[in-house]
Amino acid sequence: MTKPSLHPFTWWLWAIGLAVAILRFDSTWFTVSCVGVVMVVVYTCRDDAPWAKSFDWTLKLSAWILAVRTVIGIAIGVPIPGTPLFTVPIVPLPDWMPGIRIGGTVTWERLSSSVTEGLLICSIIVIFGAAASLTSPHRLLRVMPIYIYEFAVAVVIATSVLPQLVSSVKRIRMAQRLRGQKTRGFSSWKRVAIPLLEESLARSLDLAASMDSRGYGVSKKRSRYRPISWRLKDSLVVISAVGLVVIS
Amino acid sequence: MIKFSHVSLIYPNSTTTVLEDLNLTIAEGEMVLVIGPTGSGKSSLLRLINGLVPHHTGGILAGDVSVNGLSTQMTKPGGMAHLIGIVGQNPANGFVADTVEEELAFGMEVLNLPNDVMRKRVEEVLDLLSLAPLRNRSIATLSGGEQQRVAIGAALVTHPKVLVLDEPTSALDPIAAEEVLSILHRLVHDLGLTVVIAEHKLERVIQFADRIVYINGEGVANVGTPEEILMQSPIAPPIVHLAKALGLKEIGVTVREMRRMTTHYRDIETISKIETPPTSSKVITFEKLTVSYGDTIALNGITSNIFAGDVVAVMGRNGAGKSSLLKALAGVNPPTGGSISLSGKNPFELHGKQRRETIGFIPQEPSDLLYGQSVAIECEQADRDNELSAGTTFAVLQQLVPGISTATHPRDLSEGQRLGLALSVVLSSNPSILILDEPTRGLDYQAKNELTRMLINFAASFGKAVILATHDVELVAELASRVIFIADGDIVADGSTLDVLLSSPAFAPQVAKVMSPQPWLSVKDVVAALEGLQ
Repeated sequence: MTKPSLHPFTWWLWAIGLAVAILRFDSTWFTVSCVGVVMVVVYTCRDDAPWAKSFDWTLKLSAWILAVRTVIGIAIGVPIPGTPLFTVPIVPLPDWMPGIRIGGTVTWERLSSSVTEGLLICSIIVIFGAAASLTSPHRLLRVMPIYIYEFAVAVVIATSVLPQLVSSVKRIRMAQRLRGQKTRGFSSWKRVAIPLLEESLARSLDLAASMDSRGYGVSKKRSRYRPISWRLKDSLVVISAVGLVVIS
Repeated sequence: MIKFSHVSLIYPNSTTTVLEDLNLTIAEGEMVLVIGPTGSGKSSLLRLINGLVPHHTGGILAGDVSVNGLSTQMTKPGGMAHLIGIVGQNPANGFVADTVEEELAFGMEVLNLPNDVMRKRVEEVLDLLSLAPLRNRSIATLSGGEQQRVAIGAALVTHPKVLVLDEPTSALDPIAAEEVLSILHRLVHDLGLTVVIAEHKLERVIQFADRIVYINGEGVANVGTPEEILMQSPIAPPIVHLAKALGLKEIGVTVREMRRMTTHYRDIETISKIETPPTSSKVITFEKLTVSYGDTIALNGITSNIFAGDVVAVMGRNGAGKSSLLKALAGVNPPTGGSISLSGKNPFELHGKQRRETIGFIPQEPSDLLYGQSVAIECEQADRDNELSAGTTFAVLQQLVPGISTATHPRDLSEGQRLGLALSVVLSSNPSILILDEPTRGLDYQAKNELTRMLINFAASFGKAVILATHDVELVAELASRVIFIADGDIVADGSTLDVLLSSPAFAPQVAKVMSPQPWLSVKDVVAALEGLQ
């Protein structure tokens, strides 16, 4: 870690700014271009650290969410009139569920509104996933004000366990492939999830115990061995996001 | 310094007491070793010292534990931070910073020490633990031994009076373990630090210990000098078993003491047996095998064969390429160059049933293989996978780990039992090759003996090949027929266990060190050789 990196808050503030701007603009093109910019930033700025590798998984997750959201969005809900694309058979529902319909004619308007709403959710996930993969959770811990230390411990454990999950998933899937199990498909996830949960729980407890026994949170004041300072670069990044919020 | 008075500990939802009425006083500058079978409560005892038990884990504690007059009932672990440094079983899980220097400073930052004090102490610790060349390195890139040293350093910066370590050498190769232990020894003698240490590999630590606490797993703890405790306890390093086998009146805990007591055995003329290796078929062939990750070369074009009935130990320092070799043979990491053939098949093209019948792989964490909710479900799944009649896997398990309860969740098993379960699941498909990656981490002597018996049986009676990567020289001495020694991605030695282990002093087992120049590796060898004379 020889290159001076940005302040740990920088990318988080930037992410919050972008998220607010996206919600206020509410325009598909703006959302898509924001996600594009975020991806470029992550792939150019991230380093070799374990948490940096979690971004690919964030992308996979949000693509999955977008797909599910779109399918559910066009299948269930209130019909929107417009150009019909294709028709799905209507599932009969009991009388006490008026106004809800499953299936029916799918219109272009319907499809586009589902995709737009899905995109909005995904863009928020991608943006915060980017902040998590660009910021070292350990550095984040060092700048967290000590009077909210319980909250800080929770945040750090959450943000540091998530990337470790990714490497654990790889290891466990490898082991199960060697047992001759399929590692694709839904049922394989159940097999991965159990060892994974156990391990991440154990890791979190270890980390919490280690912080506890080293006196974290005992003294309300904390000295700085090598202070992390806020520099011009940090201000520029944050200003770029704030600017977007202002013009939106 | 540390005082346990009438300490009893019981965990909720558990029927056995971990400790019962333990009285123990540890004086300043003492090095105390805690031994016992796996799951007997060694870690609990260590964590009682700074109050992590019960403040962090729950559990009912009766009696009182106090350190330097400070009782853990009144003080939380954080309040003891200036007094006690604690290093957990897996230091990598406890790191809270990215670089070595920041990690070392963390403990002082939270205690709000002034900057100049911090700088001075960081330098001090960097020198003390020879970490200076690593000061700016990212912790994630360090080797196991280096991480262990950083964790010890991070515990020492606050100038604690007590240092508590849970299995500090279990993941380390013999050389790195030696480094860590000699540092501890120096700290005890130079700084008067009180050290409490739990360790399974007694052969590594026994010579440094002043006293031993032996926990038998049913709440009873015996305290005494190493000689007293080891005379009676079933848990003992090979050197003590040697003394007992030779019928010596006293036991020695160091190689030097034992050499003095056994002079005449070394002068005996022994007939050296020349064993002709039985000719058996090749099961694994690899040629010019190269594995690299990015710019780093893990394996540098190595060539060798492995025969049926062989038990091959792959040894070498941390990061030498042992795991890379195993993973390439098992077909996980595709090699960058060269070829591998498992009885004519390419390991990367094996899937499903065919893979299970060719190769069995036990990863470093055996629990990676397990996902069932109970031992019974796990065994049934294995039976179904391999189209075996119901109960076959469980029968294997019963042989490996007798008396295991079928309703237990795999997580609640001891390390040894879990390894046994993973092993029986893998063995149920009757693979012709078995690969194990560091199987003895966290195993006690009894579990290790079981494992040795199982593997020798598997290799000898069925003519299968077993390959294992390990740091445990004592295990290799008992188990392996052949050793492949890897350094920096190259094979530096490949031959019979006897030849390879005797040629390297650092990797020689205790019995060999005592009996050198006699060609004996284990107590078994000594007894057999002496019987042959009579």
